[in-house]
Amino acid sequence: MTRYGMLIDTTNCIGCFACRTACQRQNGQDPEVDYIRYEERETGTLPFVHHETVPLQCMHCEDAPCVHVCPTGASYIAEGGVVKVDESKCIGCRYCMAACPYQVRVHNKVSGAVEKCKFCHAWVYEHPETPSNTCVTACVTGCRIFGDLDDPNSELSRAIVEKNALPIAGDLTKAKIFYVR
Amino acid sequence: MTYEPIWGPIISWYLFLAGLGAGAFITSAFLGWRHPEATSMQKMGRIIAPLAVAVGLVLLMVDAEAGLHNPIRFFYLLMNPGSVMMWGVVFLGAFMVVAIAAFVLDRMKRRIPNWLEILGVVLAVCVAVYTGALLGVCKTYPLWNNALLPILFLVSALSSGAASVLMVAVVRHADEFIRVGVLKKFHFCLPIIELVLVASLCFITAQTNTAGWESIMNLVSGEWALWFWIGLVAIGLVLPTVLETWLLFFSPKEFEESRKAHWISFFSDAGVLVGGFLLRFLIVAAAVPLTIVVPLV
Repeated sequence: MTRYGMLIDTTNCIGCFACRTACQRQNGQDPEVDYIRYEERETGTLPFVHHETVPLQCMHCEDAPCVHVCPTGASYIAEGGVVKVDESKCIGCRYCMAACPYQVRVHNKVSGAVEKCKFCHAWVYEHPETPSNTCVTACVTGCRIFGDLDDPNSELSRAIVEKNALPIAGDLTKAKIFYVR
Repeated sequence: MTYEPIWGPIISWYLFLAGLGAGAFITSAFLGWRHPEATSMQKMGRIIAPLAVAVGLVLLMVDAEAGLHNPIRFFYLLMNPGSVMMWGVVFLGAFMVVAIAAFVLDRMKRRIPNWLEILGVVLAVCVAVYTGALLGVCKTYPLWNNALLPILFLVSALSSGAASVLMVAVVRHADEFIRVGVLKKFHFCLPIIELVLVASLCFITAQTNTAGWESIMNLVSGEWALWFWIGLVAIGLVLPTVLETWLLFFSPKEFEESRKAHWISFFSDAGVLVGGFLLRFLIVAAAVPLTIVVPLV
């Protein structure tokens, strides 16, 4: 079984937002629609301050609240454990947006449906020769590693162990994006 | 970080109207039990019930834009039995069928069978509780995610349903209005219970976490403070309680039955309706979600 996941190393993130721009181009979005949002935190007191940028996007949770609340079954868990929205079933009630603990779902004002990160890099991962510009390939400091969590020898699995990466909110929803912070 | 509420006034109107319709049906059944002679008021309740819920459902469909543009998608609404919203669709659908059946029987001047009325009351309670449970299962919002909300919405639904029937009675059936003392006494208690529930909700939610605290501060001292204190607390809960206390217990009987007293009662009930809507609106608008890294302000 393949179980796609990602590692984001925020200790290397410089907050350039290239991942969001790449995502918008890759998915043909309008400037106001973004699948990646950022939370920024400042800690410490001058002169010893620390600034952290945390990119957040769909965590592709195994225990996905959006899938549980969706009345039409438009939100579902697809192959590879990727949480997807079947737009042909979405009525735009936005219940999933209220249920998502990470607030990473967006309401497309034109179609009326709800959208979110589709883990589009999975296709690039399976077809490495394809030219691509996803959040993973666009990151200038190489913060992001994509891969198969079920393969203990994948670059991702090894990096998670090595860097002691953890989901952003513990075991809240069995998220599949791991953070180094 | 800024935050844009997920649901707006349209959803608040829907939650309010669904509750009001359910409350009106229960009021009409209550009248049939305790005041069987007040037939016009019972019929009025059975007109308001399907009408209010139908308007609410239309608003709901207008708000669900992706479905509005592709109405076939609404048929998928029964696909996920794990979703509270799916159960809402079932309850609302069944309630509409019963409410319309009762309305049609009234038009045909036929008696409404007891089983139909009881079924309608059960479904009405389900609808009213559902409007609270819908918000209640969203774990991210401490203002919603508590067991008080469905009860609060149920009490408010009963209150606004009875208020709507009594208001129409003042205008059109004054002869019946003076005879429904038991209904008035029950109706009088509801804003008091609601006041206790709103106060409890505020106290408990403020102690949960940062997001809960911020939500309550939004209500009592922030962006929505004027609406909360003047609209909901003063006009929607305290004013009706004070006016009805005076009318029911402290005014002379001749005055209580005068036309002037009826109009005071009318305005008190209008206050209940304003409060009923504002309760939903404020709870939807003021809720702040829990965030992952930085708390929202």
